[in-house]
Amino acid sequence: MTSYDKGTRRVITAGWLLAITLLLTLTRTGMIPVPTPAANATVSHIPAIIGGILEGPIVGLVIGLGFGFASFMSATIPLFKDPLVAVLPRLFIGVTAALSYAALQRASKRTLAVMVAIVLLFLLAFSYEVSKTIAWLGPIIAIISVAGAAFIYWWMRREDVRIVGLAVAAGVGSLTNTVLVLSVAVLRGYLSSEAAWGIGLTHGVPEVIVAAVVTVAVVAALRQIGSRRGSRL
Amino acid sequence: MASIASLRHVSIGQYIAMGSVVHRLDPRGKLICFGLLIIATVAATTYTSNVLLLAAVLGLVLLARLPVGYLLSTVKPAVPVILILALMQLLFYGGSADAALLTLSWGPIHIVVGRDAVRMVVTSLLRFLDLLFLTSLLTNTTTHGELTRGLESVLSPLNALHLPGHELAMIGAIALRFVPILGEQMESILMARESRGVGTGGSSRWRVVRNAQQVAALIVPLFVDAYRRSEEMMLAMQARCYRGGRGRTHLLESAWRLSDALALGLTVLLVASVLALQHLPFH
Repeated sequence: MTSYDKGTRRVITAGWLLAITLLLTLTRTGMIPVPTPAANATVSHIPAIIGGILEGPIVGLVIGLGFGFASFMSATIPLFKDPLVAVLPRLFIGVTAALSYAALQRASKRTLAVMVAIVLLFLLAFSYEVSKTIAWLGPIIAIISVAGAAFIYWWMRREDVRIVGLAVAAGVGSLTNTVLVLSVAVLRGYLSSEAAWGIGLTHGVPEVIVAAVVTVAVVAALRQIGSRRGSRL
Repeated sequence: MASIASLRHVSIGQYIAMGSVVHRLDPRGKLICFGLLIIATVAATTYTSNVLLLAAVLGLVLLARLPVGYLLSTVKPAVPVILILALMQLLFYGGSADAALLTLSWGPIHIVVGRDAVRMVVTSLLRFLDLLFLTSLLTNTTTHGELTRGLESVLSPLNALHLPGHELAMIGAIALRFVPILGEQMESILMARESRGVGTGGSSRWRVVRNAQQVAALIVPLFVDAYRRSEEMMLAMQARCYRGGRGRTHLLESAWRLSDALALGLTVLLVASVLALQHLPFH
């Protein structure tokens, strides 16, 4: 494949994934109803993650830009009518997903287990810090992170490393979206930090799970990896 | 079923043909003015600058002969959410106690409504209106074709820096062109599910896992189909010797007129005065 062809492939893949993003954002079919005040968790950021994983960080960045722009254009609440909240954080979704996928591609299962342990330690330390300021939130974070780590460890033992890498990359991309959007929203004064924590937990967690499931299903089908080898969906 | 049938007609803001001065402006100039006004809106944090901006943007909407009621009707379903968010902002923003306008104490609960919080809520609502009108102004007065051509020439300086200006515009054009096709695809997936008795709506929002499964079952085939089509498209473009943006010309060239220069000049003046108002001693 010549460099021209590679460029063409990137442009076309980015175009199609951006089309999916626009469709999901503008028709609101990419909304999962959840019982919270903001009412919907989104899957519209998944094309940016998939673009980053399939074609690298630049494609991920471009799709993220398009996603931010679409959500800015179609926003019906003041929070997302601010380009600093709607566009800027979304640039990084595909980039972080692509980088973590590239980093994890060659990792062994032992390395992954050590990384899970380190992340768990960080989360526990963090939940202890949180419990000093917001007492009820600390234990919740601690329980969620221990349960999550146990599940990931159990699941990692029985799956292909590349599948694990995909799921982790998708999770990282999704978290990038949640964390950065909410941080900018707090910095710009749209939300109080407690409200942001609530939204982050109730939206961020389901979004991470859905992003991981969808990304693994799509990329594994396209790249023909893991137990789904040969399947056509 | 009515909601399914509408998927293929989706677009970012419908083009409303009114033939006004704003409609006839050069898309490049319009995009630059749009960008400048967005920057001004984001930077404006005082009452005076926001009111000035809103007046200017409203003037533009009237000049473009766009129906104001129609533009506002798109946010009608979101009004309760907007009000709840504004109220929460008002009550929990905090701020310094000496600037408090109102203090409510009820047992252990102390709620301070500060001057800063009021300003934050009022300006963010004004900014919301500004941006709502601005985004409508761009998409309701410019066709998709004009928009992508304008985008390509606005991004063309990037080519000189070896950044992918043409490619970015191309991505945008592909995306806008193929949204209806993917919409049709999504429609047939939804109909296939509906005809097999897998309902799409009506599920309670407490059943998060089920709802997530439904959305995933919808978008995974969509991705796989889009990828297959993009492979076909790549082959077609290679067969036609597509080699990126170098040396390409266009069938339609837009001309820069006096009215475009005037519009750009006025926008720069407006943005400069908004930014200047930010630094005045009175708000």
